[in-house]
Amino acid sequence: MYGGGNTFEGIKSDELTGEDPIKLAEFEARIERGEKIEPSDWMPKLYRKQLIRMIEQHAHSEIIGALPEGTWITRAPGFKRKMALMAKVQDEVGHGQLLYSAAETLGKSREEMIDDLINGKSKYSNIFNYPTFTWADCCFISWLVDAGAIVNQLANAKGSYGPYCRALDRICAEESFHLKYGHHCVIYLASGTQTQRDMFQEALNRWWPPMMHFFGPSDKISVHTEILMKWKVKMGTNDDMRNQFLDMYVPKIWELGFTIPDPNLKKNTETGRWEYTEPDWEEFKRVINGDGPCNKERLEVRRIAEERGRWVREALRTPKTAYVTPLA
Amino acid sequence: MKSLDPRVNRLPKTDSANTAPKVPLDQFGTFEVFVQPKAGKPFQHEGIVHAPNLEMAYVLAKEAFTRRFTCVSIYVAETRNIHISVLTDGDDDAYNHVSEVTPEGEKTSFEIFHLFKRGKQHQHVGAVVATNPNEALWIASQELRTDKQVFNIWTIRTSDIRFTNQDDMDLWLTLPEKKFRDAAAYKGGDKLKTFLEASKN
Repeated sequence: MYGGGNTFEGIKSDELTGEDPIKLAEFEARIERGEKIEPSDWMPKLYRKQLIRMIEQHAHSEIIGALPEGTWITRAPGFKRKMALMAKVQDEVGHGQLLYSAAETLGKSREEMIDDLINGKSKYSNIFNYPTFTWADCCFISWLVDAGAIVNQLANAKGSYGPYCRALDRICAEESFHLKYGHHCVIYLASGTQTQRDMFQEALNRWWPPMMHFFGPSDKISVHTEILMKWKVKMGTNDDMRNQFLDMYVPKIWELGFTIPDPNLKKNTETGRWEYTEPDWEEFKRVINGDGPCNKERLEVRRIAEERGRWVREALRTPKTAYVTPLA
Repeated sequence: MKSLDPRVNRLPKTDSANTAPKVPLDQFGTFEVFVQPKAGKPFQHEGIVHAPNLEMAYVLAKEAFTRRFTCVSIYVAETRNIHISVLTDGDDDAYNHVSEVTPEGEKTSFEIFHLFKRGKQHQHVGAVVATNPNEALWIASQELRTDKQVFNIWTIRTSDIRFTNQDDMDLWLTLPEKKFRDAAAYKGGDKLKTFLEASKN
């Protein structure tokens, strides 16, 4: 699972100057041919920097994303749901591991990334700063947040950086179970009692605004976006991803007889695009900058885990092995 | 901190006021993991784990890479024990850059891994006997090279690899029974159909 809509840093005017024009042309030609870039290949500094940022954010989102669902494992209704949710949460943490490894191939150590998460320097998907009040919130995440993540991940798996693409291929294969499981949970709520239906409708009302935020604000088509798209770091605009998600899942939500809390939501049959009320981007910014309902708790849980696990790491530490950058 | 999650509320208080930067730990070593998905298929590179030693790396590798998909065996080796050839391009074969080496010292066995396509993962192709990794490459170019182009070659001393033994295989024997992790176990179609028909009336 993962929240897309990456926030990329603005490009500084001097960041592309100083690159060897011949190497840059070879690098771009390789991407143009559809080949992958490997860790030992030459790459522009900006490419490396933006990829580290993107893969790292993705990894943190997997780890933090396991928290709002993990909290429901002990309270999931029945043995089967508990088994499935436990397996799903275990997968998400595993995905975090795969992604940290991919980011490490670019030269940032895992410890630095974890430190940056805990001290608030690195971001993760904003949607996990909201709480899961009921079982239905958990089902919303399993089905629809995962669905949104898969839209993003399938696009990114066609990107240019080899280690990231390989991690994503593996992740997407595992995610297919999450999506089916999430839909299954929601079908059971939808066809259950009125109380169960109301419970999911309320969760849907709570989660719709963050779900619309999930893909990020409309991209301004800038030189920056163009370069990242040319280098196949960014595989589509945030609006394209959002539109694709709406296209695939709004009919499925309506089919179950639920309403979506946006009176303006409809597909424009001429353009083929979805129209909706513009999400509240002020709230998005406020929450991403730390002032959401769960930001503090999410980081605190990670920080405590780090602190309580420290003696174990100290005890296991040995000079006989050494950290080196992964190969591929 | 007041959370909806009772487990979070039960967490012990730690010193969150302590904002002093934490002392950097030496990071654990890096280990590369190779997975054999089915008997007779080659071992393929899957990724890495960090661990304080090879045995612990093996345990973590089982957890990280063989939880979900079929697996019959894995290899784990420390990254710094892997000898890496040049990574080539176009129709340039990595073996074109290998030259004859005179043997020096004691002979030992080396496992050879080929990268057949850029963007894919290294595959185990066999073992050779040599006195050092460069000589192993030279012998591999005589014994293991085929018509299929190779872009990169990894060489690992056989004694540096943690292989799988019989006792390690328990985890994989039960994989096919764990249906609750298959998308196929979540068929909601019939329930959905009944529901849709009922809501029409």
